[in-house]
Amino acid sequence: MEWLTVLYLVYTFIAFYFLFLYILTYMQNRKQIYETVKPDRIRSLSIVIPCFNEEKSIGKNIEAFLASDYKGLKKLIIVDDCSTDNSYDIIKQYAKKYPRVMALQTPENTGRAAGAKNFGIKYVKTELIGFSDADSLPNKNAISKMVGFFNDSKVGGVTSRVFVNSPKNYLTRAQAIEYKIIAFTRKLLGFLESIYVTNGPLSIYRKNAFDQTRGFDKGNLTEDIELTWHLVSKGWKIHMSIPAIVRSYVPTTVKTWFHQRIRWNVGGIQTVAKYRKKFFQCGMLGLFIMPFFIFSWFIGITGLFFLGYRLTKYIMMKFLVAKYSVAAQVALVPMNDFNLNPSILFIFGMVLFTLGLIYTITALFYSKEKGRITGHPFRDIFIYSFFYLLMYPPLLIVSFYKYFRGYNTW
Amino acid sequence: MLKSKKHVFWEALTITVAIFLIGLFLGMLIETSNSSKISNLYLQSEISLTDAMATSRLTEEFEFDCDAIKQSNINFADRIYQEARLLEKYEESGRLTDNLILLHKKYDLLRTILWTSNQNSLERCNNYNLVVYLYEYESEDVTKKATQNVWSKIILDVKNQNDDILLLPIAADQNLTSLDLLINEHGITQFPSLVINNNQVLYTLENTASIEQFLN
Repeated sequence: MEWLTVLYLVYTFIAFYFLFLYILTYMQNRKQIYETVKPDRIRSLSIVIPCFNEEKSIGKNIEAFLASDYKGLKKLIIVDDCSTDNSYDIIKQYAKKYPRVMALQTPENTGRAAGAKNFGIKYVKTELIGFSDADSLPNKNAISKMVGFFNDSKVGGVTSRVFVNSPKNYLTRAQAIEYKIIAFTRKLLGFLESIYVTNGPLSIYRKNAFDQTRGFDKGNLTEDIELTWHLVSKGWKIHMSIPAIVRSYVPTTVKTWFHQRIRWNVGGIQTVAKYRKKFFQCGMLGLFIMPFFIFSWFIGITGLFFLGYRLTKYIMMKFLVAKYSVAAQVALVPMNDFNLNPSILFIFGMVLFTLGLIYTITALFYSKEKGRITGHPFRDIFIYSFFYLLMYPPLLIVSFYKYFRGYNTW
Repeated sequence: MLKSKKHVFWEALTITVAIFLIGLFLGMLIETSNSSKISNLYLQSEISLTDAMATSRLTEEFEFDCDAIKQSNINFADRIYQEARLLEKYEESGRLTDNLILLHKKYDLLRTILWTSNQNSLERCNNYNLVVYLYEYESEDVTKKATQNVWSKIILDVKNQNDDILLLPIAADQNLTSLDLLINEHGITQFPSLVINNNQVLYTLENTASIEQFLN
């Protein structure tokens, strides 16, 4: 057997394993996907919102939180990271008008969200602490749908489901699909106690659990992933509440999207590097979350390698054959060139792709908002499945390159 | 909770292993079935070859109808050519077993024997053309593979336009001693190459005319 065939079989095996893991988890827990827990009592909560040059959205963000139906929301701590626009003035106006809103400003620009968040943490005196991004808009009942999970004293954090706010172009619509699939997958991982990230748009933590982590790691580009791993490594459980919806703006241009994804990937690599000693140790973090990360990278990079290798070879071959055939005046594509005997590797690939597509549609079905089966036109699902996803592996390779070059820019 | 989690991980692993084994088993089954189809055809061809060789020997001793010998040889070569096409298609989809590669080698040997057995018939009758196409089977060089692909098409075009061509495509890199001896005998140094009527060796092929000019 060729080494390429062996590598392909290993790749397929890992991909099948994760897919079946998701399918089984879904089948065993599908009735609990939308489940929320009724809080046994009102727990006090403060939300810390870092802000840097968000004059267009910070007002809407504050208002969305003020409209929350959760009675325990005591403080909205908005930390301006020395914005150069009018953000801080807007925050101060809200603080003047609403006693629950606290306006803070860092002594100097910290350069990343973790800095402003850590600054705001010092002012939190409630049982729960939440974080949000300045451009995120939680639904009125989002917090209420999350806090009940804290009835379980082992729960350290609860995260929400992020929807893309007003997707307009192909890129944002693809991200809208992606966010829904990520949320669905994260919920399934929650059933396995393996949620690996609590998102930036809205996540709530038990204050005493959060304090054990000593705040966000300012050196990490994805401080939310790092914090989650830290909590999991300390034995805290993380949950996700599917009905808790928060809407967020996403990059609208390829350039900003690329920059964001590089930051996410490099942050992921930084986190794996930081916790490398926990590999195959420390409960679900070392036994599943870390191998899951590593295998995801392996699948992405080997998938790209296979595709690139086969495609390049195929195109070169077809080009040369066409060129020589024209010169020799023979048929470009004779009928006997068609082969209808697909190999078992091809069949494996097709089964994998079909199951992946079914998974995507199922995930979208669980996130539908407007009555359609998936909530998205087939064209957008096609673009997401055939083009958008293909961008992951090259991004990963660039991210590894940047990581090893010491990239650490927000 | 922990117990049920572990169950899912093991269940997923069990299903993956089961699906994988079933897939591999089916793949091997399909490939074995393909190779057994080719093996059956090969057995028939082997009988035909033995018959052709016997005929060839007889021509040395007795006066036989050259047209009959020509037709018999060409028909036989055409048949194994079609079988080789089928084998090639199965080979393209075969990834798990080496059976088909071995069969390919056997077919190359069969065609080598046919080449040698035709030397006398061709010399005596001289009423057909023997075209031996030697190519590299295991080459990974894309340029070479593309060249060989186009050569095959040119040769097939010539064959379709001329009824009296006995076409023998043979993989030259199969470590067959008899074939290596024949290649040395003709002084062939590179592949792909074309041996026409045992006296003309071509290393370049521009179009069908490049072959036709050397045909009887």
